[in-house]
Amino acid sequence: MKEAGNILRILRKTKQFIEEDNAFELKGLSNQTIHSATISQDADNIIIAVLVYSLGKVLERDHYRNMEGWTEFYSSVTKNLTLAIKALEKDNLDHTRIYLGRIRNSLNRISGDLGRYIKDVFKKAEINKAFKLYEHGLSTEKTAELLGVSLWDMASYIGQSHIGDAKVAISMPVKERIKIAEDLFG
Amino acid sequence: MKYLIFDAGPIISLAMNGMLPVIEKLKEVFPGEFIMTPNVKKEIIDRPMKIKKYKLEAIQVRDMLERGIFKMSTDFIPQDKLDKEVKRLIKVTNGVLRTTQTGEKINIIHDGEAACLAFASLCKCDSAIVIDERTTRMLTEAPKSLERMMEKKLHTPIDAQLSLLDELKGFRFIRSAELLFVAYKKGLIHVKKSKDLLDALLYSVKFKGCAISSKEIEEMKRLA
Repeated sequence: MKEAGNILRILRKTKQFIEEDNAFELKGLSNQTIHSATISQDADNIIIAVLVYSLGKVLERDHYRNMEGWTEFYSSVTKNLTLAIKALEKDNLDHTRIYLGRIRNSLNRISGDLGRYIKDVFKKAEINKAFKLYEHGLSTEKTAELLGVSLWDMASYIGQSHIGDAKVAISMPVKERIKIAEDLFG
Repeated sequence: MKYLIFDAGPIISLAMNGMLPVIEKLKEVFPGEFIMTPNVKKEIIDRPMKIKKYKLEAIQVRDMLERGIFKMSTDFIPQDKLDKEVKRLIKVTNGVLRTTQTGEKINIIHDGEAACLAFASLCKCDSAIVIDERTTRMLTEAPKSLERMMEKKLHTPIDAQLSLLDELKGFRFIRSAELLFVAYKKGLIHVKKSKDLLDALLYSVKFKGCAISSKEIEEMKRLA
């Protein structure tokens, strides 16, 4: 685990924002993790970026709270976050990973639609974070590998963004690139 | 002999738009081979074969490979030689950018993109790489812009050893957009030619991941 100090800070803030029911700040916190994840490309940083973003998304969907299984999920989140923080404070990285993993695993025990909905939030969060890493300058395949998502899923996500419209992304005049193509095909 | 080396992105964007037959039509008029590396095959055939959502596209691409529209890179360059070159290029490209504060290297590209570069480097032939994603192109065509972009996004200064990239300057890149442009100009698309058609073709790949700006699309329409 790289930058354990930063991860500890992020986890403490995550716990605080969940207790304050502040979905907006949670998602902002997730963006902070992406900066360090781009550089470190450390799996723990990436898992936390996905977790924090997903929790932000889940909290902002008020109707989830009235669904069967919400209490169990919420209690798993707060309990395991607290345990993960305590483990990281003691430099016990293995336990930190186990407790964070339990948050996602708890979804398998929720009956009804909620578990499926939140799993979908996590899956979409992975694609979102992969896209963010691409936006930060990593290649598509590098990001797909880091997040374990398919390039096919990423393609539509990238397509819906304005990333290709950035002036900086134009690395050669259109005319020149067309000439390469036309010369090749004769 | 000319070689067009395909990264995964352009095949994905064309497949998702139902435009794979255009690749076949282009192959008929291309004086050379369309190349697929094992890394790309893994991403566009092997992996999606296990994902129901993309299985049909994977089967269609596999069929094109079986019919020789695409040829495997291993038909021309031994895999161990390609692997060795991939490792070397990854070492070069991923050693270029470091954070000023910690000196930590930023790994930018992956085996798939590097394998395309490696094939182009080893074949010593008239070749181009078809790649839709911007990072690999920027790394070789405009590395200074990539450095500036990453500094801005990461909010941290970056040290770049751009001289390491000098050997990559000879690579040529086109995108799925240019493939469609050529197909359009050559009348290989079986819909009546019109600026509207070209507009639709270019935007279709943009919306499936091809890094092309609306401004570039407008310019391509003017040039057609």
